[in-house]
Amino acid sequence: MKTVSLQLYVVTIFLLFSITLSAQDLDSLMTLEAFTPESELQKDLNKDVSVSAVKLSSRESPGIVTVISSQDIVNSGARDLTDVLKFVPGFDVLQDLQFVQGLGLRGSWANEGKVLVLFDGVPMNDLLYQVFAVGNRFPADAIERIEIIRGPGSAVYGGSAEYGVINIISKAAGTDGFSAFHTTGLHSNGLGRMNFGLSASKKGKDFSWFLNAYKGKGNTSNQTYESPDGAYDLRTTTEQDPLNIGGGLSYKGLDVKFMYDEYKTGDPYSNISFKGGSFLAQYQIKVNQKFSLTPKIQYIRQLPWYIDENKGKTDPEPPIFDFRATRTQGQIDAAYDPSRKVSVNFGGVYFQDHSYDRYAKEDVLTLDNFAFYAQGLFKHRLANTTIGFRYEKNNLYSGAFVPRIAITKKIEDFHFKLLYSKSFRSPSLQNFSLALVDMKPEKSNVFEVELGYQFTPEMLLAVNAYHISTKDVIIYGSEGDGDDFNEWYENYSKSGSKGIEVVYNLKRKKWYGQITYTLQETIDGNTVDKFVVPQTSKQYAGMPHQKVTFNLNYALTTRFNLNTSLIQVGARYAYTDVDDNGPIASKLSPYTQWNFFLNCKVVKNFSAGVGVFDILNAKPVVPQAYNGGVNGLYPPIPGRTREFIVKLSYQFNR
Amino acid sequence: MQIRFLALVFVMTAAYGSHAQTTNYQVYALYVFNIAKYSSWPDLKGEIHITVLGKSKAFDELLKQNGKVVNGNTIKVDQVEAASAIINAQIVYVSDGKSSALDELVKVTEGKPVLIVTEREGLHKRGAGFSFVVVDKNLLRFDINLTDVEKRSIKISKNLSTLANSQI
Repeated sequence: MKTVSLQLYVVTIFLLFSITLSAQDLDSLMTLEAFTPESELQKDLNKDVSVSAVKLSSRESPGIVTVISSQDIVNSGARDLTDVLKFVPGFDVLQDLQFVQGLGLRGSWANEGKVLVLFDGVPMNDLLYQVFAVGNRFPADAIERIEIIRGPGSAVYGGSAEYGVINIISKAAGTDGFSAFHTTGLHSNGLGRMNFGLSASKKGKDFSWFLNAYKGKGNTSNQTYESPDGAYDLRTTTEQDPLNIGGGLSYKGLDVKFMYDEYKTGDPYSNISFKGGSFLAQYQIKVNQKFSLTPKIQYIRQLPWYIDENKGKTDPEPPIFDFRATRTQGQIDAAYDPSRKVSVNFGGVYFQDHSYDRYAKEDVLTLDNFAFYAQGLFKHRLANTTIGFRYEKNNLYSGAFVPRIAITKKIEDFHFKLLYSKSFRSPSLQNFSLALVDMKPEKSNVFEVELGYQFTPEMLLAVNAYHISTKDVIIYGSEGDGDDFNEWYENYSKSGSKGIEVVYNLKRKKWYGQITYTLQETIDGNTVDKFVVPQTSKQYAGMPHQKVTFNLNYALTTRFNLNTSLIQVGARYAYTDVDDNGPIASKLSPYTQWNFFLNCKVVKNFSAGVGVFDILNAKPVVPQAYNGGVNGLYPPIPGRTREFIVKLSYQFNR
Repeated sequence: MQIRFLALVFVMTAAYGSHAQTTNYQVYALYVFNIAKYSSWPDLKGEIHITVLGKSKAFDELLKQNGKVVNGNTIKVDQVEAASAIINAQIVYVSDGKSSALDELVKVTEGKPVLIVTEREGLHKRGAGFSFVVVDKNLLRFDINLTDVEKRSIKISKNLSTLANSQI
């Protein structure tokens, strides 16, 4: 692309100074570009963002968008998805329970049904609770590109995308060639992780295929966990083991994908695993140049949240939770582009979710869901307007209607976005099964504004502000222990957050850098007492008020690349212990995590890298994101100490 | 500490100057130059006057063509702020900011051999002879209103008109 731009520039200059143009030269006018050549940064910014479901670049897409390329990931030395997400404004990693970790987004706990994660188009959230567990999951070297909407995605993606969407494209699905990687993470007292993966793909005009596989082994921490019943060495008593095998083929309009995914984690007492397989097939029928129809079918079968407490036991007992969940889905999408300036997408989907108790051998619940959705993009010289809606209901709730409107435009160096969206979280299988009373869908009103200015071709500053007000918040509760244990879900009336996010990007030929700033706080009127900490009214449990990240990458030579990054997280407050009066909230000190990574292209296609994560040995703990009560409180997971990383990778692109 | 850090960033950005990927007016000027070259007007007196209506960086680029000779005619470039101020122009280049003055411009030049070229897309449907349009995100092309051009007794070379994105 850079070469083509240069050639065009040369042609332009030649034509400008040539007076004796022939008709043949006139044809050269057809190739001239209306804008000056793209800088390295603009090449990134000007790509269409597929996650926003309209053909617009990130600066004009109807959402607050972050796009991360494989080169950014490789250069940073990121170990897994969480290393990448921590550098994105608004994202935090917290503990749900029993050392299972999830995401916080924009100051709120977003673990259940609030952030939809797609991997090569396959939804990764579990079907029982809509949870996506993280921690040494999705090794960074298996990823080609990540597109993130830091804002509601329900109008397009439905009831699991209330606060955000993370769309991960694997190396195999995103490239044409072969790749292999191996990552080792070492702490001073032992192995932290070991991940490896392979991918192969072939892209043809009519026929393409890809295969992708990775496997990993890691622990949740390398420290000792002090509990009332003793001290546990987390190196040997915890795990974060991912496994993923996926593939796909496409022939003309037909596209078929399959995936098996497994993730094992847990605390010193419990084995917890998420296993699932999925199959997706779709066929695009081009009715004419302007109109296409795409019928889709999808089947997902999972064993999520399998829990046994057999760690260290010689005489295994039955699991304490062993459910199967399935989804059978049929969908039809239509795309109509009547002109260059108008495009419309609409469609309908039916899906049946079913849960089955494998231990009791009985069906638990069936949910029949359907949804209709439509979205129109209207481009005008003054602004692009996106208007859309989704209506979804199932046999147990009365329905959710979520409209959205977005006005965006890039005018020379300046861009703006004005976004309003309603979004929702559809109650999941277990939300209904454990409901105290009739469950209602959780709904949010989200206002967002973004202003951006490109000071030079290499430099962009974007600032956004948001206000999220969520009502009928679906909240988990539990009490008791052993045979007296009782758990439930109920709707709380209100929660939400507001904040400001700043992203400053600078990209030159030899080096690039990024600085982000996040300010996030609670909104007035929160009624979810489980999120409240006594020390402050500005933060929810476990969430920081402010975060600053810094990343600098420098190509020392054509072979050596140096990257350093830093995260500064402000004080957090979380429930850390229990006394006679109940759970106790403590202040978690601010921390600074500083990382360093050196990558070397040893020979063509083969790279080796070494790095250190958490050079300052800050060991940030992973606190629980809510007040779990006397029996449901999990103290913060001790943070990993400094980790030395060695990476080997081979990448052959056709 | 964080606020001071951000302030530093803002200062850095402000101090960095201003030169961004923007509209490439060189290319717009090149098109106008070729429109002049591949068109013919009745009763030319050795000069082709190109008048830019309103403020546009295309004027700076067109000035670089000032004095060059095309098909035996010398190019003269000037700039005005109002349609009523246009005198003896063969080509009027309407800047984006003066698009609203098109109706008045069409009125005052009605029937005269004046070729109206607009920076803004779609105005060939409202009386301009040429309107620029960006296609495929980045390529500069033009739409042409041959009916209007013929009414003004201006002839456009087929080599040029066949390059149009669309024709009326």
